[in-house]
Amino acid sequence: MLVAGVDVGSTQTKAVIMDGSPRVLGRALVDTGARVDRAAQAAFESAASDAHVAEAEVDFVIGTGYGRYRVEFGDDQVTEISCHARGASFLFPGTSSVLDVGGQDTKAIRVGEEGQVLDFCMNDKCSAGTGRFLGAASQALELPLGELGKLALTARRPVRMTTTCTVFAESEILGWLALGRKVEDVLMGVHVAIASRSISLLRRVGIEPEITFTGGVARNEAMVNLIEQLTESPVNVSEESHFCGAIGAALHALDRVVAGGTAGAGADAVGAGGDAAS
Amino acid sequence: MTVEEKQPPAPRSELIGATRRESRRLMEGWWQRLSDAAADGRPAANVFVMGSAAEILHAFDIVTCFPEITALQTAIRGSSMDYLLAAEDHGYSPDICGYVKVDVGLHLKERRHPMGTLPKPSMVVATNMCNTYVKWAEIWERRYRCPVVVLDLPGWRGSGFEAGRDGFEADRRYVEGQLRELIGVCETITGRRLDIDRLRESMLAVNRLSELYRDVLAENRHRPAPFNAMLDGVNYMGIANIHRGTEEGVRFMQVALDELRERVALGIGALADERFRLLFVGTTCYTHFVRFLELFKEWGGVFVLSEYMTFAGGGIDKGIFYDTDRPLESLAEQLLLSSQRSMSGVFYSQDWHDQVVRDYQLDGICFHGVKSCRTISTGLPDLREWHMRRGDIPGLFVQSDLVDTRLWSEAQMKNRVDAFFEALQSRRLMRER
Amino acid sequence: MPMSAEDLIEECRELVEDPEFSAVRDWLDHHPGAKVLGHFQVYFPEEIAHAAGMLPVKLAGAGSALQIRQADARIAAFVCSIVRSALEAALSGHLDFLSVFVTHPICDAARHACGVWARNFPELSAQILYLPQNAGSSHALDYLRAEYARVARVIEQATGAQVTDEALRASIAVFNENRRLLRELYALKREAPWLVSAVEAYVLTRAAGLMPRERHNELLRAVIPALRARDARPQDKLRVVFEGGFCEQPPLDMLAVIQEICYVVDDDLMIGLRWLTDDVPQDGEDPLRDLARAYLQTSSHSPVQRDPRRPKEERLLARIRDANAEAAIVAAAKMCEPGLEEQVAYGQALDDAGIPHLVMEFEEKTRVFEQTRMEVETFAESLLLDLV
Repeated sequence: MLVAGVDVGSTQTKAVIMDGSPRVLGRALVDTGARVDRAAQAAFESAASDAHVAEAEVDFVIGTGYGRYRVEFGDDQVTEISCHARGASFLFPGTSSVLDVGGQDTKAIRVGEEGQVLDFCMNDKCSAGTGRFLGAASQALELPLGELGKLALTARRPVRMTTTCTVFAESEILGWLALGRKVEDVLMGVHVAIASRSISLLRRVGIEPEITFTGGVARNEAMVNLIEQLTESPVNVSEESHFCGAIGAALHALDRVVAGGTAGAGADAVGAGGDAAS
Repeated sequence: MTVEEKQPPAPRSELIGATRRESRRLMEGWWQRLSDAAADGRPAANVFVMGSAAEILHAFDIVTCFPEITALQTAIRGSSMDYLLAAEDHGYSPDICGYVKVDVGLHLKERRHPMGTLPKPSMVVATNMCNTYVKWAEIWERRYRCPVVVLDLPGWRGSGFEAGRDGFEADRRYVEGQLRELIGVCETITGRRLDIDRLRESMLAVNRLSELYRDVLAENRHRPAPFNAMLDGVNYMGIANIHRGTEEGVRFMQVALDELRERVALGIGALADERFRLLFVGTTCYTHFVRFLELFKEWGGVFVLSEYMTFAGGGIDKGIFYDTDRPLESLAEQLLLSSQRSMSGVFYSQDWHDQVVRDYQLDGICFHGVKSCRTISTGLPDLREWHMRRGDIPGLFVQSDLVDTRLWSEAQMKNRVDAFFEALQSRRLMRER
Repeated sequence: MPMSAEDLIEECRELVEDPEFSAVRDWLDHHPGAKVLGHFQVYFPEEIAHAAGMLPVKLAGAGSALQIRQADARIAAFVCSIVRSALEAALSGHLDFLSVFVTHPICDAARHACGVWARNFPELSAQILYLPQNAGSSHALDYLRAEYARVARVIEQATGAQVTDEALRASIAVFNENRRLLRELYALKREAPWLVSAVEAYVLTRAAGLMPRERHNELLRAVIPALRARDARPQDKLRVVFEGGFCEQPPLDMLAVIQEICYVVDDDLMIGLRWLTDDVPQDGEDPLRDLARAYLQTSSHSPVQRDPRRPKEERLLARIRDANAEAAIVAAAKMCEPGLEEQVAYGQALDDAGIPHLVMEFEEKTRVFEQTRMEVETFAESLLLDLV
């Protein structure tokens, strides 16, 4: 039995192929770009080839992420909230809280023992405290995104950012630099601002160990450090954190197959409604 | 406007659909009166849904214009941004109430509204139940130099406060005194003395409206719920406000009740497939009025009750019992009581939530914060958190706006709603196991 | 050795920037068993709390002193900073000394704060004092007197003490003196702004709400003559009125930027502490009634207190005239519904009166003011060039 999860995010699209054990057989990551449907298809194809299986052998595909309705070959859709919860519990079975800092959304999720969502909270409509805020910093400081965390860790006297609004971030960053503050101190200020906002979301759902940190920003070591400091607790970060949503989608797909399902039976399983795709 | 798609073959009953026809007729009539007043300059008052003093104004035949309703109607018709942006060009901030800005825009554009023409206000009655009412009234005061009466209704006072007790008599005397001053303003505007019997008639009509309205609300305890509190309910509210204290208002509520009873008897729900019964807390987004409800409908989610149907009804949900033997005393007393109950219902409503979740067999609460309305929205995250902390009632918190399309994000809204239902669904499955 | 004016001002500045309220904790150490009442902006009749032996403390937000960690989870995103930071101070234990919290129907966010506080701190008495929004009604005085009596009952319950008329009269005397001294300070600002800077006058004023009033009276009695005796010369600076500080407070550094460029000859900063503009009778038969009458009759103005008898824009124009100012800075706190609405009316009235004005927004927690500096400099330059 083979299933797939395709997580179409705002910047990147991730796909995984899993078997019934369940185990990840193959994975792929592509830039989403302007043609969302093509990105989904490309990610799926290349995950299948990574897993050495033919696409037609895959029994059930679930799309998740912002572009989930553009996964036209998919059998159903589930939100990335349910998928991250499920994926995090799979990667770290002791997970009670999930923090997912993504490109334009940050989610805090409290999960039950089977990876079901007990409560969740997301950032406001503005991108306060999301990965996009780091993107704004990377542009203002003309530094590659991947290096921000490392540099921030060298800060000695971090500034305190007062805005988490991406629109104003650049002017505040430049303001601090104009006052002669060091790049790393400003950068650490940016990290602290995002981490505090994220923790504030986690508090809304209740912080309970174990905490699993997922999403692209989980690869930023400064952010991981800060989350651990602020929650006063170690944080799980997986090598696969980037694929957490796609893995969760694949696991939901597995549930459907086990429930004896074709797409139409989805309403009986966890996490999707029969007419959600309409 | 009842949702009737995917229903079993329509049973032949004249009652089904009658509410909708009647409300359309009454709304058109109201707009006709507004436009007539705009044309011939007869006295018109700008008033608000929370504390309109309609009983007194009707006794003077003063036309009542509800700028909250006229503003939301521009949003439903997709033209709110034309007015709102005109007000922002005039210096109003993006961060203030969108209703105020739509209304400023309407007045800047010669009061021409997609549904008619607004009259120049001859006077304004505002209450402190929403502080923005006061600031809004001052805008007309400056523009039209018209008298503004701010009815000060001392409301909920905090820890341990009970409506109707703790200094109630002093508060009541203050309100009665202000009502007498309001009557003085009406007499000046119309050149007529108050006809106390007209006032009594109007008050008796409110008593009957309130009684019927409470029965309407109670009908939704049935499964399936016969009406959607954020679709039909908004409609009931609109007519109840516009026709507060009139025979037409009473008749309308009777029509609505008859239809609902018929629906219950025939087993016709607001949704063909009701799977989740929800309470709506906050105010809705009129720019995406139908779309918002569809997001819930896709999951079989129906709003069985809404906080909006309580605070926006001028007290009719809690029951109004005017004693027409002492009209002004009683008017002051009931106005004050309904204000105190509504305001505690907004600021300190957790116990009410617990109660209606039981009474109406609800599965969860949707909290919808709107940037335009800090009166309703400020403490919503805390309320949701309160329920989640106690772990008994699942809550969804979403935000957008009443009339400002810039604050609506389809993808984010859908994502949150879908995730909420996914969680409700898995919760239900775990329980069944 | 007596402290210099500069030392005393520095003491006030430290209190203003201190989220721990150390002067309040100090007072409690010396008054075991005594109780503290915290009142949110704008006005509160502090005499009533004082008469029961309580220390009334003004809650004017935490500025940038506190990182918001928990309050964001309790209050919607589009609510101003002061409501948020006041709650944060409470949630983080910085206000654990409060027995009573009072807010006012100044705006909808402030009223909601009462519900949020009441839910989160059940051991605290969280209250709304309903100050009249129909100040023109002939029934407002009777009502307000009764409302003050209700507040007195709340205070009596919290303290176990009686609020007697005699104690009230004594308290009125203390606060009358305080208001007189503050008026003197403001007169100095108007007459010789080179002798006291905007920031100095501000911290001296705000400190009134952060320490026992008797101590503040002593402090002002020492500082004001010392300021008058300063050896400073007038500079060629634009004389402005700053309007918009009735609730959320602009950061000190923002005022510092403004005072580098302009003389702030009058303002509405912490107007609640200066709300009553004349002495309240100290020997009246009914002191609660005297306080209520003073609120309604001899008082200042703000966007959140409606008084149809005295339109706010006229009173702003009078403030500018009385201070002999050339221009106005009309500010509003970010997300402040009433402040932002009033800004439009004020701007219109100033336009009509031909008074140059700069419209700006601020937030208490901002720490970088390059943009403010540029705006104010440009504004001042354009006017000074015009005047040449």
